[in-house]
Amino acid sequence: MAVNLQQADASSVLEARRIHNQKLARQHDQTRATWFPLTVLGVLLALPLLQLTGNYNYLLHLVLFTASYAVMASGWNIIGGFAGYISLGHAVFFAIGGYFSGVLLARYGISSLLTAPLAGLAAAACGYIVGLITLKVRGPSFIISSIALLMIARILFDHWEFIGGANGLSLPVTDLPVQTAKLPYYYAFVLMAAFTVWATYRIKHSKFGLGLRALSKDEVKAESAGINTRFYKVLAFALSAFFVGMAGAVWGEYLTYLRPNIFLIILVSANLVLMCILGGKGTIAGPVVGAILIVAFNEIFVATLGASEINILATGFVMVLGLMFFPNGVIGTLARKGKLPRVLNWD
Amino acid sequence: MTDILQILILGLALGGVIALMGSGLSLVFGVMRIVNLAHPSLIICGAYVSYWAFKLWGLDPIATLPIAALIMAAIGVLLYRLMFESQAKSARYSEMTVLLTFALAMIVEGFLGAAFTNTQRVTSPEYATDAFFIGSLFIPKGQLYAGCVSLAIIGALTLFLNYSRLGYAIRATTQNREAAELLGVNVNLISMIAFAIGIGLAGAAGSLVSFVFSFFPAKQWEWIAMLMSVVVLGGMGSVLGTVVAALLLSVIAAFVGTWVGATWSTMTFFLALFVILLIRPQGLFGEKPELA
Amino acid sequence: MSDLLQVTNITAGYGDGPAILDGARLTVEPGKVHCIIGPNGAGKSTLLKAICGMLTIRKGDVIFKGERLNGLRPDQILRKGICFVPQERALFPKMTVRENLRMGGYVLNDAKLRDRRIDEILERFPVLRERADQHAGTMSGGQQQTLAMARTLIVKPDIVMLDEPSLGLAPKIVQEMFDIMKMMSQEGVTVLLVEQNAMMGLKNSDWGVVLDLGRTLFEGPAEAVLADPRIQELYLGGRKVA
Repeated sequence: MAVNLQQADASSVLEARRIHNQKLARQHDQTRATWFPLTVLGVLLALPLLQLTGNYNYLLHLVLFTASYAVMASGWNIIGGFAGYISLGHAVFFAIGGYFSGVLLARYGISSLLTAPLAGLAAAACGYIVGLITLKVRGPSFIISSIALLMIARILFDHWEFIGGANGLSLPVTDLPVQTAKLPYYYAFVLMAAFTVWATYRIKHSKFGLGLRALSKDEVKAESAGINTRFYKVLAFALSAFFVGMAGAVWGEYLTYLRPNIFLIILVSANLVLMCILGGKGTIAGPVVGAILIVAFNEIFVATLGASEINILATGFVMVLGLMFFPNGVIGTLARKGKLPRVLNWD
Repeated sequence: MTDILQILILGLALGGVIALMGSGLSLVFGVMRIVNLAHPSLIICGAYVSYWAFKLWGLDPIATLPIAALIMAAIGVLLYRLMFESQAKSARYSEMTVLLTFALAMIVEGFLGAAFTNTQRVTSPEYATDAFFIGSLFIPKGQLYAGCVSLAIIGALTLFLNYSRLGYAIRATTQNREAAELLGVNVNLISMIAFAIGIGLAGAAGSLVSFVFSFFPAKQWEWIAMLMSVVVLGGMGSVLGTVVAALLLSVIAAFVGTWVGATWSTMTFFLALFVILLIRPQGLFGEKPELA
Repeated sequence: MSDLLQVTNITAGYGDGPAILDGARLTVEPGKVHCIIGPNGAGKSTLLKAICGMLTIRKGDVIFKGERLNGLRPDQILRKGICFVPQERALFPKMTVRENLRMGGYVLNDAKLRDRRIDEILERFPVLRERADQHAGTMSGGQQQTLAMARTLIVKPDIVMLDEPSLGLAPKIVQEMFDIMKMMSQEGVTVLLVEQNAMMGLKNSDWGVVLDLGRTLFEGPAEAVLADPRIQELYLGGRKVA
């Protein structure tokens, strides 16, 4: 009646266990194809030379636009992907950055290209303070608080006369010739994107990044392991605000006007989240891939569907499909199946 | 003195409507642990149903309330089957579902905007602009009717939850989903029914909202923060909590609106949300704070 | 000796993750207490969850009284006669003991029958009778476990499955829990339990099952399992003294 142990003795069971555990562990190729992102960067830096042959302003605009999104999405990734706190209110930091540099430009004529890091710091400071409050709660409550933050900011900005209130501020346009007018912003954003990707890579591979990953999985356990979770997540929040603010600063000048109903709308936040979801939350290449996808979708939708309301519909639709069928995004899903091309493994 | 009484009554009436708006949100969270960010957009959907019924056929919005509720409940069943049923066993459930409802909110807004444009709408039955004059009190009829209907519906909901077998199953699932399932409750079916009821409540609220507030597709973002503060203050999952919080915050907002300024009236809700999340995240009647 | 429940070589896992169970096997005889032991991660809880319908079975069969249970929902399997008490005990903390018991009879259509059975349970378990109107969340671990186990009896199931009933309980209380299980088996209820405390679990059971690496390595009378030197070395912490 009794079924005997399939192995003759205890040691073969222990051996079988060891083999079994080894099979469950994942193997990773630790080398990185660094030449790829560097090559891409090189190509992007050289791209404006095309201007010498013809009018590629629209192309430059697209790359610039994608780069700015890549900066913001990568920044958001620090709190949303690494730490696992989904913020739907990051448009606030976008606005803080934009207005900070914009006001300096309007009043003192200092270009945002110089003040962007400062704007980023201003946004980070706000992020730090806000984070101290809102990061006390987790999960859905945090998400809700981020939306409330956005609503509060919108009302405040709409009523603050010093920065133009609901009508906003007009910013001076540069007087560069058409051929080179976009170039300063182009380079600003491309370099910012490179910097942000590099910075998020370093963060992910630091003790700080490890701590964030731990607290994203189980905050209580991370805390009892000695990680100062409160400090870590508030810092992550502030860092994410920094990058988004910096991008906002230059974007404001590029756009030449600041208005609450452009900077402080839910669609801005939604796009950041969507980029990371489509690309792969928590990965380094994910936000960049997501940015490219979103800009591509945007272009397609605007070209075929036009009006802004259908744009929102389409964005929502893409998001639903992405969430339901590719919850780990392009990079994440490929990585899980072991099919991620080496050139895209930037982690 | 009459000023205060007047503001109080107005606050309570609006509070009733807001309570109805939030009740569906609270119910769905309780049963499915989903924060439905699309809830206000679905309220607006219901509002459009009553609005067009009035505009095209002259039907009174309170009369078309049951129709709006049923239509939205049916849509709720559809949404549940399409989007949320499959999520039940997913790893990062709360995160995923919040993002899904967020995307849904955008889809609904886009759809409504494309179909009906972004013009501000308001249904205007006779009583919407009429008022009762009692002594020196001026009580707008529309708000009063809406408040009463809301509280009646919530009353019916409470009776249903507390005294019917289905309501019993819903409450058990809210308290401990796994336990309910292991004791014989078909939690998937219960979730679907609760979701349908929640969205139906949104539809009903929409009919009332259509003449109490003006609405347009993008207004949902203003309402989501407002409803969230009510539901969080009251305690997620507690319909009673939602009612108490709605009445409380609406009265406060009404006073703030009159004495400080109209814009700050809405701010009351947002600030309340922040404060509550800080000092007592589980709200008045809720359970322990959300863990990620 | 016909088998009440037959689990034949099942493969199961969580979501689309790796297979935790791979070749798990079990034979359950009526009226006996069966104890499943094994190291952490062996798949013991997973096995119970697969049987009661909480997990999808990828390969293999679960056959109960001649009927295949694969793919049924937990509430459907409950109606067939298998109760499951998970590690977290699945109580309603905001409901009283009486209300919890009432919920235990959810699938009974006859309210009078249910109330009669509740009264019987309260008679048999003084610990619960004394606290009939106390909120379940305020009771001690042992009291909660008693309530969880007693609650299963309302529907008079054929099999009661318990996942680590001794978890978090003081040794003296643990023995009380095992005594309840013995009582249940004497009344004809078949008990299937997963126990981390292998020694105590086997001592109080009739039949022992050893699960490791997702497979059933050993099945036999509990005493035989306890006495086997290989089992002792692997799972019981070394050679048994005397």
